[in-house]
Amino acid sequence: MKSKIRIVFLKELREMLRERRTLAFLLAASLMYPAIIGLLLNQMIERNTRTEREGIEMVVIGGAKAPTLMAQLRERSVTVTEAAPMNEDAIGELLRAKKTVAVLRVTDDYVANYQAMRPARLELWFDSSTESGPQRRDVEDILQAYSSNIASARLLAHGVSPATLSPIELQRHDTGTNASRSAMVIGGIIGILFLPAFFLNLSAAVDSTAGERERRSLEVLMAQPARSWELVVGKWLAASVPSLLGVTLILCVAHAILRWLPLEEIGMSWNLGWGELMLVCLVTVPLSLLSSALFIGLAMNAKTFKEAQTTVSFVTILPVIPGFVISFMELKTATWMYLVPMLSNQTLVKELAKTGDIGPLPFVLTFLCALIPALLVVAFASWRMKSEKYVLGV
Amino acid sequence: MIEVHDVRKAFGAVQALGGVSFTARDGQITALLGPNGAGKTTLLRTLVGLLKRDHGSILVGGVDPEQDPMAVRRNIGFLTDQFGLYERLTTREYLHYFGELNDMQAAALRTRIGEVAELLGMEDILDRRAKGFSQGQRIKVALARTLLHRPRHLLLDEPSRGLDVMSTRALRTALNALREDGSCVIMATHVMQEVTHLCDDVIVIAKGHTVAQGSPEELCRRTGITNLEDAFVSLVGTEEGIA
Repeated sequence: MKSKIRIVFLKELREMLRERRTLAFLLAASLMYPAIIGLLLNQMIERNTRTEREGIEMVVIGGAKAPTLMAQLRERSVTVTEAAPMNEDAIGELLRAKKTVAVLRVTDDYVANYQAMRPARLELWFDSSTESGPQRRDVEDILQAYSSNIASARLLAHGVSPATLSPIELQRHDTGTNASRSAMVIGGIIGILFLPAFFLNLSAAVDSTAGERERRSLEVLMAQPARSWELVVGKWLAASVPSLLGVTLILCVAHAILRWLPLEEIGMSWNLGWGELMLVCLVTVPLSLLSSALFIGLAMNAKTFKEAQTTVSFVTILPVIPGFVISFMELKTATWMYLVPMLSNQTLVKELAKTGDIGPLPFVLTFLCALIPALLVVAFASWRMKSEKYVLGV
Repeated sequence: MIEVHDVRKAFGAVQALGGVSFTARDGQITALLGPNGAGKTTLLRTLVGLLKRDHGSILVGGVDPEQDPMAVRRNIGFLTDQFGLYERLTTREYLHYFGELNDMQAAALRTRIGEVAELLGMEDILDRRAKGFSQGQRIKVALARTLLHRPRHLLLDEPSRGLDVMSTRALRTALNALREDGSCVIMATHVMQEVTHLCDDVIVIAKGHTVAQGSPEELCRRTGITNLEDAFVSLVGTEEGIA
């Protein structure tokens, strides 16, 4: 004798497969999702590596008046382009075209002031709304260094030690490693990797409960020799299938893309092997089970498909909240995070990407923190379906 | 055999069943007559164990549906007032699903689907999906589902609604065959002609109470009215709510 759960499961699955929209959506989401992430990262890498290769582009007006400065700039890999004198509007136009990081204008009285040892004015024109901020700061640093050099030379000529000019000495130490920097960006990407667990199963879960009620076939089903928990479990497992497949596929495709991209170019790391990824996929299974349980538990109380969609849609927002709160409050990874479904999955992968080895506890907690509530919700839904109040409403 | 004794059921302040008693025998077709809202649906749901009674006793083939609903349901074919079709499944897949739910073996199920399809004259829609089925086709599929597992007891809620002349005759043949087999059939209906032609016994319920039980002839004799419809109206005691 076949188990009733299996009978219900297979029937729900068959009905689901007949719904073309669900399948198309599943496939599109599974492939498009990681593809978009890959594209974004690729663009980031492109942008970062391009500037390193080509150095800094800068337009200089009146550069002939300051040949040593020009030489200094070229030495520090700034590509200097000489330009004829132009007015403010023309400079603005040039900066908007983003062909140059900044425009340096050597003022007309520069030479006279320089020789008279008065401050010789240089004008740096830039557009702060563009992303070239770091490069602009590089240019400013070069100019500053040039200025200090001249000052030192002049002081030496007067027999004064240049050290008097530097009462303090600032040394910068950046402890951010490639990996920890990458955790930020990767964390954001990971956050959205698990989201499909909460929308790929929505239509299946709603259709097999509220939809069945709307089509008035639920009473017939409930009058069959099958216990209400067998019906609920069959429907629950069937609804979990699209989520489960979708998220696993997305994780695999994303993993392949992240491994293939030269992430080290932008100081990021993805320290996961296929074995670890399989473990991640495995402990993510209960997440799909939990979302399906929640959807079924809520949707079964709605009288129509539409009504159920409205009640259920707020559940799709829930998983985003913990991740959002964590990044908003800038909390450090702690063990309790592995006790919150969804957040635990995100934290797990974030930590794996950063360090590569985190021990078995996070895996176990991630697995259980979604599985236990899922089972509780299913138990509640079964109890609810058996209740007389529910039968009367069918 | 279905034995019901003084069954009562209230939903809050509403007394849906106020004392229903009857016996439906094997090898007989028992009509369940009653105006809309008399408590027929509640009664049928109580018989399959979907609802629990507040008072009284029910035995379906000697089993109390409250004690062992699974055993009772395995021996009941229940045709509700809704057909309960799945639009994305073919008739064959639909019947297969319910056959499996009733613990039928695959080989027996295949043969049986052919049999009921022939019995109800629905071979043409066996491999079509239910979407776009006519009312008659829908009720045939639902009926086929009801008969599929050869239940000893059949609870049919208006089985002839929406059927054309040919299908009504097919249904009548099917019901007669079931009676020959010794099944116990309870049929809720509003068609008096069907009752006179087909049913051996009639239960009249009104406002949640059994008003009378007997053969159509007995009911006419008892009320002193020759026409069953008029006898029914007289038993129910009002002309209100006759569908």
